[in-house]
Amino acid sequence: MHIDLWTLGLQTINVLVLVWILGRFFFRPVTAMIAARQVAATEALDEAQAAKAEAAAEVAKAKEEAASLTAARTDILQKAVAEAEKEKAALLAAARTEAKTLRDAAHADIDRARQSEEMAEADHACRLAVDIAARLFEKLPAEARVMSFIDGLVAGVAALPDATRTGIGADGVPVCIKAARDLTEAEKEACRAKLAQTLGRPISVAVAVDPVLIAGLEIDTPHAVVRNSFRADLDRIAAGLTRHDH
Amino acid sequence: MNSPLTIEPVFHIGPVPITSPVLVTWALMALIGGFAFLATRRLQIVPSKTQASLEALVSAIDTQISDTMQVDPSPYRALVGTIFIYVLFANWSSLVPGIEPPTAHIETDAALALIVFGATIAYGIATQGLIGYLRTFAEPTWVMIPLNIVEQITRTFSLIVRLFGNIMSGVFVVGIVLSLAGLLVPIPLMALDLLTGAVQAYIFAVLATVFIGAAVGERRKTTRETTQTERKTP
Repeated sequence: MHIDLWTLGLQTINVLVLVWILGRFFFRPVTAMIAARQVAATEALDEAQAAKAEAAAEVAKAKEEAASLTAARTDILQKAVAEAEKEKAALLAAARTEAKTLRDAAHADIDRARQSEEMAEADHACRLAVDIAARLFEKLPAEARVMSFIDGLVAGVAALPDATRTGIGADGVPVCIKAARDLTEAEKEACRAKLAQTLGRPISVAVAVDPVLIAGLEIDTPHAVVRNSFRADLDRIAAGLTRHDH
Repeated sequence: MNSPLTIEPVFHIGPVPITSPVLVTWALMALIGGFAFLATRRLQIVPSKTQASLEALVSAIDTQISDTMQVDPSPYRALVGTIFIYVLFANWSSLVPGIEPPTAHIETDAALALIVFGATIAYGIATQGLIGYLRTFAEPTWVMIPLNIVEQITRTFSLIVRLFGNIMSGVFVVGIVLSLAGLLVPIPLMALDLLTGAVQAYIFAVLATVFIGAAVGERRKTTRETTQTERKTP
């Protein structure tokens, strides 16, 4: 076995040269590119991490704003609800007050209507009663319609003040006596006599027929009226019945 | 067929005989160096398929060095990577008709082993200093100094003989079969030679890494122990 030292040396040099060539033109650029890619990947990851953190911060901020908006919305809604409740209460109170006023007014109207109806019914009843009484009185005898009223008429004249009484039938003026029918001479004389006695001087009488009186006598003077008739009585009764003091 | 144990010069440059392993090695240097130069001219951040393949190769070499030596692979990448690539392509050069692989001659294997031997010493001294490196021969005791020296020499010879024997035998067997049988019969043996060549390239590179790693390993162990002591100290 023979080892060629020239070949051994040349091969050693060749391999060392190849080590330098590959180290210079292969391993160095490739490892540099790998390192550059790792740096780029690291930077990209850092940027992604930063972007992620930024996005997370934005999300947190957005959530915070959303929570703030929700709180503000809730606050506004609560205020609106409270205001609406207040407005509702005010409207209800106003409506109740107005309804009470209307109800009171309606009750007052109803009461007034009922009172006026009652009054109308009472008037109607009075008039009906007076008419019934008047018709009943018309059935009295003719004498009774005059003679029985002379004393009452004279008493009414006697009750007049002196000045008024003095003016009745003074200066020869006949005393106007109203009656439901024309008086007979006896009735005229009876009236004249009793009036003269009451007045203390002689007088003359004149008769005015007024069927409305039904029965009785009345004297009209410029300053007084003496009434003693069924009509006057019925008028007083009707006035008494229809007086609405309540 | 020429004997694989003998070598004849193809031509002479002055007094220097140029043999076929040297010529083939020059051709491989031109081929590998030219390809490396062309392939790395326009490297991009987004790699092409070729660039990705080259980066995968470099990453695999780095990973192998890191796993074996437990250190940063950059000081050793060029040597170990070049040894692997050269031995691989030298072994596979037998596929080219008429080309005899340089690693089938003991001079090439001896050159590679000598480089590994020199690198072991150089890296050992560079990391531990001359005294520190020499002190490793007295590990674990000074009695082991002769054995450690013999180990340095024998493992270098084992590198030479392993690569030479495997590749030379493959070439020899294929040549014998080719001379006895037809044209297609040696093809399975050539395919086996491909596998053997790749495995031998890997083994040679890994053993080189292991030897260099052993040379710098004591320094690494000392550094680790110092760091642990500093951590324990309050």
